[in-house]
Amino acid sequence: MQSPKKEDEKLQMLFDGELEPEEEAAVRESLESSPEGMAQLHEWEELRKAMRGVSMDWVKEIDSDALFARIEADLSAPAISPERPKAEPPILHVIPRTRERRVWGAVATGFAVAAAIFLAVIAWPDSAVIPSADVRGSEVLEVDFGSNTGTIFEVEGGAGESLAVVWIDDGEVGRP
Amino acid sequence: MSLIPHLLVVTMVFSASTTFAQGSSLVRSDRASSTSAVPAEVLVVLAKEEPGEIDPQLKKLTALRRPPFNSFRSMKILSRPKLDLVPGKDALVSLPNGRRVKLTLLRVMPDGRYKVKAAINRPDKSDYLPLLQVVASPGDPFFVAGQTYQGGTLIVGVIVDPKKTAQ
Repeated sequence: MQSPKKEDEKLQMLFDGELEPEEEAAVRESLESSPEGMAQLHEWEELRKAMRGVSMDWVKEIDSDALFARIEADLSAPAISPERPKAEPPILHVIPRTRERRVWGAVATGFAVAAAIFLAVIAWPDSAVIPSADVRGSEVLEVDFGSNTGTIFEVEGGAGESLAVVWIDDGEVGRP
Repeated sequence: MSLIPHLLVVTMVFSASTTFAQGSSLVRSDRASSTSAVPAEVLVVLAKEEPGEIDPQLKKLTALRRPPFNSFRSMKILSRPKLDLVPGKDALVSLPNGRRVKLTLLRVMPDGRYKVKAAINRPDKSDYLPLLQVVASPGDPFFVAGQTYQGGTLIVGVIVDPKKTAQ
């Protein structure tokens, strides 16, 4: 008896039509002599039918006329210029160059923003110290009377603002 | 290129520029503080309780007619020196009683007011007013009063940036 591997090879060759007529008859006879062989033969035939069906469907989907027309068009097209291969390397460099361009774009954008901020800061101070209309008058933040006694007053100015008065007793003339 | 590296680059440059701008702002501030001077005026008034004349130039200063000054019935301007306050530098004004007013412009506040340090003492002494710090709006005075002089009381008014006065 042949090994299973050999039997499979024989079966495959049988269905591929690669066996000699005598050999094919012998294989068929061997398979048809047992139920297992019959089942195996049946499975192979089913598989072959299925594959044929798929192939036929695929072939039907192909527009052979259009395919041939495209091939003919390609063949009749002018020959590719010799510069074409030289032109391709830049295509290969497109990605790094684009990236480089984008990096420089980002840097340029950053510098533009930085310049705008810098100029804004430079141009800002004069307008930033415009006194607020609400802030008027004067006020004491800190006072050291030393060895004297003193009082801090607030007196109203002409525009209603509060003005600071520091009164220090000098000894000879007291506060009013 | 993805967005993240792009944003990273922009962020780095932005941070660097902000730092640089802040630094330059400080430099500019220092430069301003070393070059720009703010005009100021010191008003030295002798006020007395005896009836007398109120200097016509003081009529605009209505604050001098209100407490605690309202007990004075005569006021005379003894001097009215003008000076430039340079930030960080002392400016001296002599008073008739031998003391000196020392004024220092500390800084210009963000709202435009001036932070000023003042002291009134005899030369090389700290016998009267060792330290006073005030903030004043341009043209609005602050006063130091109480020194005795010739039977009256000295009122020292300090006006920073008097050209902008609204009085």
